[in-house]
Amino acid sequence: MKDIIKIAWRNLWRNRRRTIITASSIFFAIFFAIVMRSFQIGTYKHMVKISIESYLGYLQIQNPDYFDDPSIDNVFEFTLEMLEEITKTVNVKVAVPRIESFALASTGMLSKGVMLTGISPEKEKEMSNPEQKLVHYAVTDKAIEHLQQKIKPDVIELLKIHNNTSFSSAEKLATALDFQTEDSLILQTVLAQTHVASGYLSENDEGVLISDRLSKYLKVSVGDSIILIGQGYQGSSAAGIYPVRGIVKLPSPELDNKLVYMTLGNINTFLGLSEQVTSIAINIENTDEMYKTETVLKQTFENTKTCVKNWEELSPALKQQIESDSVSGILFLVILYVIIFFGIFGTLLMMISERMREFGIMVAIGMKKFKLVLIVVMEMLFLSLIGIFAGMAASVPVILYGYYFPVKLTGEIKDMMIELGMDPVFPFAWFGDYFYIQGVIVFIMILVACIYPVRTILKLNAIEAIRGK
Amino acid sequence: MNVIEVENLVKAYTDLALEVVAVDHVNLTVKKGEFTAIVGPSGSGKTTLLNMIGGLDKPTSGTIRVNNKDITQLNSKELINFRLHNIGFIFQSYNLIPVLTAKENVSFIMEMQGENRKTVDERVSEILTAVGLGDRMNSRPNQLSGGQQQRVAVARAMASRPQFIIADEPTANLDSKTTEKLLDLMEELNEKENITFLFSTHDQRVVNKARRIVVLEDGKVVEDNENIKQ
Repeated sequence: MKDIIKIAWRNLWRNRRRTIITASSIFFAIFFAIVMRSFQIGTYKHMVKISIESYLGYLQIQNPDYFDDPSIDNVFEFTLEMLEEITKTVNVKVAVPRIESFALASTGMLSKGVMLTGISPEKEKEMSNPEQKLVHYAVTDKAIEHLQQKIKPDVIELLKIHNNTSFSSAEKLATALDFQTEDSLILQTVLAQTHVASGYLSENDEGVLISDRLSKYLKVSVGDSIILIGQGYQGSSAAGIYPVRGIVKLPSPELDNKLVYMTLGNINTFLGLSEQVTSIAINIENTDEMYKTETVLKQTFENTKTCVKNWEELSPALKQQIESDSVSGILFLVILYVIIFFGIFGTLLMMISERMREFGIMVAIGMKKFKLVLIVVMEMLFLSLIGIFAGMAASVPVILYGYYFPVKLTGEIKDMMIELGMDPVFPFAWFGDYFYIQGVIVFIMILVACIYPVRTILKLNAIEAIRGK
Repeated sequence: MNVIEVENLVKAYTDLALEVVAVDHVNLTVKKGEFTAIVGPSGSGKTTLLNMIGGLDKPTSGTIRVNNKDITQLNSKELINFRLHNIGFIFQSYNLIPVLTAKENVSFIMEMQGENRKTVDERVSEILTAVGLGDRMNSRPNQLSGGQQQRVAVARAMASRPQFIIADEPTANLDSKTTEKLLDLMEELNEKENITFLFSTHDQRVVNKARRIVVLEDGKVVEDNENIKQ
C-alpha cells in the first residue's frame, strides 16, 4: 500500500502544471460554492429571524382547529403551568401567550378592519418587543409648518422628503435627515417639534398600541381614542373605546397597516373570553433543532386540546420564497459542478491516454490491475483533496468576516428594502452542513469520473497497450 | 531440465479479411540456464512467439508449458500472477516506471511478490551493483542514459530470480558500445545466476553472444542451432 501511495503521489507531480490547473479549478469551485451557500443560507436565516423570531415565533401552540379556521371560537385554555411546561423544554428561549382576532376600528368618520393582538406587555418584550418599535418622532405636515420659520430651507426640504415618516429614536431621525454634530441645535428644534409621546402598555393597561400606518389612516395620535367593534367569543358582540397609548412602527408593511396591540386582560374582556388564548408563540435557542423541539412539545401536550405548528406551516409564503431562491442557487452550483466535472474528466482522459503504454508494461511485469486502479484513483483523490481542502480553508476567513461584519445595503436600495418590510442586512451563515457538503459533492464527482479509468484499466490488454493501440 | 516446452504453437489473426498465421506450429524446448536468441526478419513472428511464451498473448492453438505447467489454460488474473513470480521482462524501450528511482524500480517487483524489506534491500543493492549502477540507485529514469536505463531494466528482470527472462530486442535503442557492455552483463549474469534468457533480436552482435540460435521465418522454426559456443 505504501508503494501505491508513493507512486500515486509522485505521478501527481509528473505534470506539475496540469495538476496545479486541475486542483485550482476544484479549489475555485469549492471556494465559490461554500461562500455562495454561506451567503444564501445566512440571508435566509436572517429573513426568518426578522419575520419569524420578531413576531410569529418558530413554533406556536394553537387549538387544532385554529389553523384552518382562525376564529375567536377556536381558543384554548391557558394556564401559567402550561407556560412553565413550555419554557422548561430544552431549546425553548421564550414563550408568550397571545390572542389574535379581528375587529373594526373607528374614529369618527374613518374606520378600518384591524387585527387585534392581545399580549402580555412584559413577556412580549422578549418576543416581538413592541416597546422597541414605539414611534417617538414623526415628521408631519403640521411639524414642518411649525419648523418652517425656525430652521434652514435645506433642512425643511429634507423634512419634506421624509414627510409622514415615523422614527423610533432620535438617532434614526438624525441619520435620515443627514444631521452633522454641528447641527445639534437645529436637531433639538426638529426633535422637539416632531416628538410623539408614545408610551408602552402596562400589564393591566386599558389602552392600546396601534401600528404607524394604521394611525395615519385613522388620523389618530397618542392620547386619542379608537372605537373597536367586533364579534366576541361564541357569537357575542364586542365593542369598546380604547385610548391610544402609543404608536408602533412595524417592519412588515402588511402588519403596519392593521395591527392593534392590547393587553391580554383587556382583550379577554373585549371578546368575552376567560383565561383563554388563540396561540402561544415560542422562540427557540437553536433553530437547527426546531423539529426536535416541535416533537418534544407535541409529546408534552399530546393529551390536551392543542397542536404544535412550526413557522413553515404558519408562514408557507416565506418558506416558498426561501425554497425558490435556494433552488436557483443550487442550480447555479450544479452548473458550476458540471463544468468542473468535465474539467476533471478531461484531465483523467489525458492522464490515461498518455500512460496506456506504462500501464501495459506494469501489467506485463506482474502488477495486478486492481493495484493499478488503486494508483489512478488515489492520484485523483489526492488531486481532489488538495483542491477541496484549499478551497475550504480559503473560504473560512471570508465566512468569518461576512458573519461578524454582514453586508449592509445603503442608499435607495436600503430604503426600498425597508419599505418592503425587509432588513437590508445580509450576514453569512456560520459553518454548518453546507460547508462540508460541497467537499463531499466534489469528492463523489471525482469518484464518478474515476469509473472511466477503472473500466479502461480493467479491460486493458497489456500487449495492445505496449504497442500503443 | 526443460524450463519452457512449446508444442504445436499457432497464432493466427485476421488482418483486412485475410488470415495471417504469425506463428505456425512451432515446437521449441528451452533448458534451464540457456542463453537463446530468436532471430528472423521483421514479421517472422519473433515478438508474437515471445509474447505467448511470456503469457502476454494467448495462442490460437498449441500448448506452452513452463516448468510443466500449461500456461495456455490460465486466465488473465492467473497469468498476471504467473508472470510476477516466474518471468522477467526486458523491453526494447526500457519501460521503467518514471516516478520511481532505479532502486525502487528494481525493488518494486520483489515487493509485489511479498518479499520482506531486508531481503529486498540486499538483493536490490546486489543486483544494481552487479549491473554497474551501485552509485546511481537513487536516480530516476530521466536522470539516466539509455544504456543505464536498460541496465536497470535488466536488474529489474533479474532481481526476483525468475524462471526465465524474455528480452524483446533489448539492444535496439542502444549504441554499439553500450550494446556490447549490456550483452557482456547479461551473459555474465546468465552464467553467474544460471537464469534462462530468451531474446529476440535483429542485432548480429547479440546473435554472436547467443549459445543457441533459433531462426524463424514466416512463423516457422527453420533452423535451431544449439551449443554453438561450447
